[in-house]
Amino acid sequence: MTETPAETDDELLLRMRSGDEQAFSDLYRRRQAAIYRFALHMSGSAATAEDVIQEVFLALIRDDCGYDPERGTLAGYLFGIARKQVLRQLERRRTDVALDGDGDDAVLPQPAASADQLAILTRREGIAALRRAVQTLPPRYREVVVLCDLEEVDYTEAAFVLSCPVGTVRSRLHRARALLLEKLYQEHHPRLGALDPAGSAI
Amino acid sequence: MTCQEYWNTMPELGGDGGEEAAAHVRECAPCAAALSNHGALSAGLRGVAAEWGKLKAPGRVEGALLAAFRGQAGLASPPPARRWWNPVLAWAAAAVVVAGAFLLFAGRVRQPQTPAQASAGTEASAMDWSALLPADVASDTAAGDFIPLPNADQLPQDEDLNVVRVEVPRSAMIALGYSVRADRASERVRADVLMGSDGLARAVRFLDE
Repeated sequence: MTETPAETDDELLLRMRSGDEQAFSDLYRRRQAAIYRFALHMSGSAATAEDVIQEVFLALIRDDCGYDPERGTLAGYLFGIARKQVLRQLERRRTDVALDGDGDDAVLPQPAASADQLAILTRREGIAALRRAVQTLPPRYREVVVLCDLEEVDYTEAAFVLSCPVGTVRSRLHRARALLLEKLYQEHHPRLGALDPAGSAI
Repeated sequence: MTCQEYWNTMPELGGDGGEEAAAHVRECAPCAAALSNHGALSAGLRGVAAEWGKLKAPGRVEGALLAAFRGQAGLASPPPARRWWNPVLAWAAAAVVVAGAFLLFAGRVRQPQTPAQASAGTEASAMDWSALLPADVASDTAAGDFIPLPNADQLPQDEDLNVVRVEVPRSAMIALGYSVRADRASERVRADVLMGSDGLARAVRFLDE
């Protein structure tokens, strides 16, 4: 049996649960890339991302995987498992780069990076710098950027993945973006230090 | 509208902008610059997403997961292709070993060849073995039908046939299509092996199924 375009994740899961190998294969091929990229962005390691993707789908294979369609989508559930796996790996490696405080609800200063500096963000070297900046964000900010900005997961689903209110997703994303701008600014102006809300060095 | 109120209208903070926000950014140079920065950042993030968008897990992961799925679902992997000569050689080896002892102690049960039997030789491969058997063996109602071994019909049939009763492990039945439980695989079962004059087994039947 082959996948039909109208077949939802939940329908595939139902077939998979009845032992349909093709359904499992279709589900895997549909969802693996985003989960793999999420794990890769979060961990910065292809080997870790490979371990994570295996764990995620092995969890789905197990009968007691705990997925409840009433609580969220299957994609969100898979991201949620991937997140837990990644955080466990990060905890083990303790490679997190400590940046600044956590205050989720604080509105960060808006760094006044120069126009020419930000213009290069869309060029190859700018993209590489931005990717490095994302990977040095604290995990709680990195994960919202990866989910919402890179994988285009909507805020509601991101809240399900992160097990937090939608408002927390929004504030973390806002703060994460501000942190990214600040990091990019500091990368180009290392001697100027932090910025005040008005954009002038302090 | 203050700068703080303006930034609270950002989409990620749940605001919807609106005319008041647009008016603020027209009048406030720092907010206009910050908004421009955010636009550049969004474009850069879209660039990262596009550059990494084609990444996916290595193909070997799917293979490993499919194997795990089969194990969990109790699905058997596709069986390897059977080689026709495996059961033939196995039964021939068993028969040759036992035949010597049988001929020494039980005597030969050779059925004298008759023209009728000789002409029936080609039909023997079609499982009509009974006409070629000694009467006492053929009338053994406790026994099942003889099962021709693979490639038996490729062997000459116009020779004397001997029946040798042997005991073999129950696992030997698997090669002939019987299902055998793992816990009974090592049990001994009686079998009649129909042997050609060349010493090769032609067919077999089991007396203890």
